[in-house]
Amino acid sequence: MLVLKMLRDMGRHRTQFISIFLMAFLAIFIYAGVGGEWRGLQKSADDFYAETNLADVWIYGGGSGGAQGVGFGGAGFSEAQAEAVGRVDGVGAVERRLEMNAVGDFENKPVLNLCFAERNEISSLYIVEGAGFDKNDAGGIWLSQRFAEARGVGVGDVIGFSVSAANGANDAAGAVDVEARSGSAGGGADTHDSLKFEKTIRGLVYSAEHVFESASETLTPDFSDHGYAYLSANAFPAPVPGMPSAEPPYNTLLVKTDGTSPPAAELERKIDAALDGRYSVYLERVNLPSVNMFANEIQQHKMMGDIFPVVFLLIALLTMMTTMTRMVANQRVQVGTLKALGVKRGAILRHYLSYGFFLALFGAALGVAVGPATLPYLFYPSMSSFYTLPEWKPAYAPEFLFVSAALVLLCTAVSLLACGKLLSESPADTLRPKAPKAFRHGALERTKFWRRLSWAAKWNVRDASRSRARSLMAVIGVFGCTALVVCAFSMNDCMKDLKTWQYETVNLYESKLILGNNLTSSRIDEITEEVNGEKIMEVKAEIRANGRKQGASLLVTDGTELIRPTDSELKPTKLPEIGISITEKTAELLGVGKGDSIEWHVYGEQGWMEGSVEKVYREPVNQGITMRRGHFESLGMEFRPTAVLSAKKVVRDIDGVDSVVLTSESSTGWDDLTEAMYTMVYLLIAAAAVLSVVVLYNLGMLSFTEMEREMATLKVMGMKSGRLRGLLLSQSLWFTAIGFVLGVPAGMWLTSRIVAMSGDSFDFPVFLHAPTLLIALAFAFGMSALVNLFFSGKIRYLDMVGSLKGVE
Amino acid sequence: MSIERTEKNEIIRFERVTREYGTGAHVLKAVDDVSFAIREGEFVVILGPSGAGKSTLLNLLGGMDFASSGKIFVGGDNIVGLPDDRLTEYRAAHVGFVFQFYNLIPTLTAFENIALTRNIVKKPLDARNALEMVGLADHADQFPAQLSGGEQQRVSIARAVAKNPTMLLCDEPTGALDSETGAVVLEMLQGMSRERGKTVVIVTHNAALANAADRVIRIRNGRISAVEENESPKAVSEVAW
Repeated sequence: MLVLKMLRDMGRHRTQFISIFLMAFLAIFIYAGVGGEWRGLQKSADDFYAETNLADVWIYGGGSGGAQGVGFGGAGFSEAQAEAVGRVDGVGAVERRLEMNAVGDFENKPVLNLCFAERNEISSLYIVEGAGFDKNDAGGIWLSQRFAEARGVGVGDVIGFSVSAANGANDAAGAVDVEARSGSAGGGADTHDSLKFEKTIRGLVYSAEHVFESASETLTPDFSDHGYAYLSANAFPAPVPGMPSAEPPYNTLLVKTDGTSPPAAELERKIDAALDGRYSVYLERVNLPSVNMFANEIQQHKMMGDIFPVVFLLIALLTMMTTMTRMVANQRVQVGTLKALGVKRGAILRHYLSYGFFLALFGAALGVAVGPATLPYLFYPSMSSFYTLPEWKPAYAPEFLFVSAALVLLCTAVSLLACGKLLSESPADTLRPKAPKAFRHGALERTKFWRRLSWAAKWNVRDASRSRARSLMAVIGVFGCTALVVCAFSMNDCMKDLKTWQYETVNLYESKLILGNNLTSSRIDEITEEVNGEKIMEVKAEIRANGRKQGASLLVTDGTELIRPTDSELKPTKLPEIGISITEKTAELLGVGKGDSIEWHVYGEQGWMEGSVEKVYREPVNQGITMRRGHFESLGMEFRPTAVLSAKKVVRDIDGVDSVVLTSESSTGWDDLTEAMYTMVYLLIAAAAVLSVVVLYNLGMLSFTEMEREMATLKVMGMKSGRLRGLLLSQSLWFTAIGFVLGVPAGMWLTSRIVAMSGDSFDFPVFLHAPTLLIALAFAFGMSALVNLFFSGKIRYLDMVGSLKGVE
Repeated sequence: MSIERTEKNEIIRFERVTREYGTGAHVLKAVDDVSFAIREGEFVVILGPSGAGKSTLLNLLGGMDFASSGKIFVGGDNIVGLPDDRLTEYRAAHVGFVFQFYNLIPTLTAFENIALTRNIVKKPLDARNALEMVGLADHADQFPAQLSGGEQQRVSIARAVAKNPTMLLCDEPTGALDSETGAVVLEMLQGMSRERGKTVVIVTHNAALANAADRVIRIRNGRISAVEENESPKAVSEVAW
């Protein structure tokens, strides 16, 4: 019978109970949905890394010859060096590889990162289509599936490459360019040769080293523009046609630890000793850009999946609390009757606990069932345009069940809190109506300000203090909703700001001509003159300070007008001619400021330089240090331009120019990237809408039920409906205002936390814009007004006779 | 609103008023073809057993319920069929309600409960004077929950009177009070009629009160069984309980 009573009670209070169910559902839906999403990514990536035996350490060789390492003629890692590393304690396997950039024989000259692998047992390939990697196959190539797809080539097709003195040089650390033996030394640009060769596609592949890949000059991956391919060492082209091919000058060592997981620093020290320091870069797996970027992405999702459900959980609990307390209070006499009839206390207790228990149970169960099965598929399509994984599948975790169980327990506990006191009374006490809550005049009421308040304001203040849980629920609901909306829109703003900052404030050039390596300075000058440009040197560097080390970029300019640094307010600023200027983000990461001393070192060069920070400036995508050419050269460094900037749009092929990055195109690429952000933004807004409607409706329902009698009295006394509506509205507006004021900074904080996880290379400007504030304002108050509109109808048709019948 | 001439001093007239609930075979006539009149300043008691239709009659008069047929004239104007907002205006200007369970606003003090009439009518009585009138001037800052039932009912009367209405409509005003306190409240209501000239209509099932009324309307099964005029009504204090 008590079950019947429960079902009928739920029917009568369906709005509240539906919202408890809904909030419990949403909390778990988001927790398990986003949890399933990022865990799925994590698992896919981990499986991918394990399956392909991803290297633990990459060691890039460095020649004495220059920043970009060895060429055809340079000496690579010898077999003896590889063996020496293999003997180091903790090292399980070592393999050599030659990485170099080549230009694919396609339209727009795409850059392909070629890996001539000794065995491809470490960081092995994942075959999507075609044959497995054959380390002896001299004529075959295993091409990135994403590139092949974008370019419309497949297994069996023959593709051509050229490696020239002018190929993409300033790419990731360790990438080398190939210098043709003939014609480079002292040769004019017009005479330099490029080596051309053709290979047959044997397989289309994914590589775990390229879960994320982006050319350094663009923010977003364009799979038709760059890619990677693996070849057998036997496929290494003869440097000069007719000559027998030699062993490739392996410039990379892939190291696999033996599973004893030696301390990272110790391993690095030992390997350093084994190689006698003759290498340029030692890169651990966590610092591999692809691994790092993907791990950051997962962290970002994890945080959202952990934070957002808390809001819903709080609302579920507060709704539970308010609903149960009121219902139990209204059923006081019923409880007394049941007790008097001899129903055991335990049975009554179970009855009231079952409300919270079953609602939370069904809500959570539905959330666990539906969340991971649906939510991840909202994210995966946009994510797969950035990342490459063999499998996109959500993963389940026992935490989903633990958290669900905790939610069910909490809701049940709240039910207990609501009815426990009543049950401990004697039946006779319970049968008597509860003494009304006595009011006291608070400190506020003794102020002058209080006396000036209208009776409606006084009523509202006292009503709020009478129903604290209800008020708290309203404030938290609006707070959560505002935070979500502000977060959604400020993330959007942030993306737009970054774009404006990067492409309109900082980058004033239209074309960036990436120069080939080993160009003569006269050729560089010719190019510069041809496009009326300015030379810059942009290389990878490492910076050390306070015991911290940070990979960053080093920019040396001739005082260009085409790159305009900005201060922390994103306003253009001037950098000093003497000394080092450092980006704000890098400065923060290293814990340095103006006047502090830092050490820096160019990748591929041995030895560290020291200098003091003269200025801290802000820069969106290229974190690191910058200095003037004069200062750079005064330190004994050689200014070797890597790019020429031009305000003109350069579309023609220029000899010696490896590729041209057009600002207008990159800026379009950025729009594509932000497209993916919108999934999250829409999701946040939808969540905010549900949250606000449920909470405000509930609040309205509760206050209306509680004040119905008072409203009816006032109506009987002749008070106009408009005035009564105003009474309800003003209370709701006050809660909305408080929730809103608290929600805005919370939303901004959330945004800053989320963008902070985008990695160290981005500096996202998180500013609150007036339109965002207005949208959030309109959203919060609009929802509030909408729900109130619904209740104003109820006031108009308030049944005065019914409402004023004797109290039960 | 059409103005019809009424008998001198007559303030209220019910003409063949019926109030039906439900439809078809399940029609219940709570008030069935009722006609009577009340003069200005009278102290009227509507008597009848539970379920006789007394409260419905009062609600119809107070503009809280709608008559199914008939006419109800107040001060010459028929209030049957008035739209909601006109009825609200009517209640504000003419009717002071006193409820069985007082219906004070729990979050407002005694004073504030009375003072809120300022938001309903243009020229209410001063709230302090109204409180003094019911002898509760020193309870002004107390909340309803801090007052006894009788005190709450006195505040409720003060609130009704503060609007300065044409009539006071009281639905079982002593129903929740002990007899002693009830007597105080009734004396007060009688005083409103005698000293202030208000028309006071009280619904009760306490037959003893009949002796104190100027006019007694007896109702049974929704119909009027008798309307008696009392030539020499007694003071409430003289009425035996």
